Amino acid sequence: MSWAKTLSLALRTLRRNPLRSLFMLLGVAVGIASLIAMASVGEATRRETLQQFKRMVGTFDRISVQPGSARTRGMPSLTSVEPTLRFEDADAIAAEIPNVRRVSREQSAFDIDVQARERTATTSIWGISAEWMEIRGDDVTVGRGISPEDVVTLARVAVIGEDLRRQLFPDEDPIGKIIRIAEVPFTVQGVLVPRGAGPGGASLDNLLLLPVSTASKRLFSRDYLTTITVQLQDPEQYERAVAAITALLRERHGIVPPVEDNFTVSNPRAAMEQVEAVDTTLSAVLIGVAVIATLIGGVVIMSLMLIAVSERRREIGVRRALGATRTDVLRQFLVEAALISTLGGIVGVILGVAVAVVAAFQQQLPPAFLWGAMGGAVALATVVGLVFGLQPAWRAAQVDPIQALRS
Amino acid sequence: MIELEHVVKTYQRDDGTPVPALRNISCRIAAGEFVTVRGASGSGKSSLLNILGCLDTPTSGAYRLAGEDVSAYTDKERSGVRARRIGFVFQAFNLLPRTTAAENVEVPALYSGGAVDRGKALDLLKRVGLAERSDHFVTELSGGEQQRVAIARALMNDPPLLLADEPTGNLDSAVGDSIMELLTDLNREGLTIVLVTHDERVASYAARELVIRDGVLASDRLQRAREAAHVVG
Repeated sequence: MSWAKTLSLALRTLRRNPLRSLFMLLGVAVGIASLIAMASVGEATRRETLQQFKRMVGTFDRISVQPGSARTRGMPSLTSVEPTLRFEDADAIAAEIPNVRRVSREQSAFDIDVQARERTATTSIWGISAEWMEIRGDDVTVGRGISPEDVVTLARVAVIGEDLRRQLFPDEDPIGKIIRIAEVPFTVQGVLVPRGAGPGGASLDNLLLLPVSTASKRLFSRDYLTTITVQLQDPEQYERAVAAITALLRERHGIVPPVEDNFTVSNPRAAMEQVEAVDTTLSAVLIGVAVIATLIGGVVIMSLMLIAVSERRREIGVRRALGATRTDVLRQFLVEAALISTLGGIVGVILGVAVAVVAAFQQQLPPAFLWGAMGGAVALATVVGLVFGLQPAWRAAQVDPIQALRS
Repeated sequence: MIELEHVVKTYQRDDGTPVPALRNISCRIAAGEFVTVRGASGSGKSSLLNILGCLDTPTSGAYRLAGEDVSAYTDKERSGVRARRIGFVFQAFNLLPRTTAAENVEVPALYSGGAVDRGKALDLLKRVGLAERSDHFVTELSGGEQQRVAIARALMNDPPLLLADEPTGNLDSAVGDSIMELLTDLNREGLTIVLVTHDERVASYAARELVIRDGVLASDRLQRAREAAHVVG
């Protein structure tokens, strides 16, 4: 008996036994639906986490170099870091490391009081080179950002975040206004596009940017950096770049292992990979549960098929008498099980996607459509049908036509 | 068409004691014959039918069907022989449930290796007088109609031999007679028929009657067959 005939016969049998077919289909569909729902919701959440991470750190083409060993924690501030990272280090990285696109120099200090006429606010101050805004993808809503000329001329200009603007200039245009930091006056020349909340929930918009040269010479009187941010041409080569930067700085700082580095080279990708690893573990557990649910669907198919085989003993006997071989009978029942299981898989995928879309809607996340997982789930359903259909089909093939016809 | 030589069939009880069903059967049935096998319950006629129908193999002896020695065929080979050479008609009709008349007639074609020819199935239904019933489900047909569908089904693969096991056993005598008339007509067209029955009246339709008793052939005689055409009604 050909596969095409077997398939159309199986389809007919399933159609003419609607209740049994429905139960078998639902048995598998529930498992597959949970599988797809878990995977899709997990993926939507993972993408959102990634998105948040990107909002915080920008794109993944960046490597940051900070003073102190890797054991130093927290955001580097002028008051907390060792004075080991120099402007010259940044120049050397820009000049000597291949695959470098931009290098920004930063001096940051936190919890600094600033004033604009009678108003006062506490903010973080970032002395930056002109590359910083480009690397971070920052832009201004009004005015302009920090330019290379500002850095060269030690201009006393400031670009402020949205939070700071709201505190200092609630109902007036901030451009051209004066902000005093430790009695040094700076002219506001731009307001940054708001970035919103970071992963921790804190606002990313309470900050004030100055040219790093101005910060170094006119404000803080410090000639070391808190961060050098390196943007790569080819982000895929970040491991090689990290190694090259590490080697260069060791050489410049005269460090020979096992002496500990007095700087730390890190990249957002490594941190991202850790975040993803946690997510993946959680997803694996949930998906494991869903796979078990699918296997239970297989058990449902097996038991209903076994009942069907004993109910259909006479039919099997008749088919055998009319020329069906054992293989024909085996194949007929196996194809029925695989077919209904596959259909259950397809229904399950549709249900699962529906659940995932509703869940995404409730969480206000864009839903994730995992086409690969959907195909895989349908294939899994087919395999489950074949595996759990094998025993009933085998039993059907063993039916003795003489006995089946006698009853 | 059929040659049986010293066919013996012995079953084993669960405790191992042998139970002889057929002791020593030899006979020949030529192509185109209409033969009845008559015997009481337990006489061995079912065992003989199973062997003739290639559902079972003899314990010893030879069975040649259309020149082919099928006595030692494997299960799979016998399935092929059943599909191509033998049409079955049962007492209980044995149509498949939840299946239309035409679909039932097509079943043997699924197992003969060729294409399923719906037109041929419809022609056969027409031949047995059920052209209008082809799309009816089995449950919508009367007993006589069901047996006619079963006969059409038996003819689907053009087998040279038709085996009928008490084909009128579940029908009242008028309907049974019409079924016998149909079989007689098919025999006249060249089909070899072996019909198993315990009913002398049914047996009287055939030109030759074998009587089996205690696993041996007790009688093999030619008789003047009833004129089918005169029996209708």
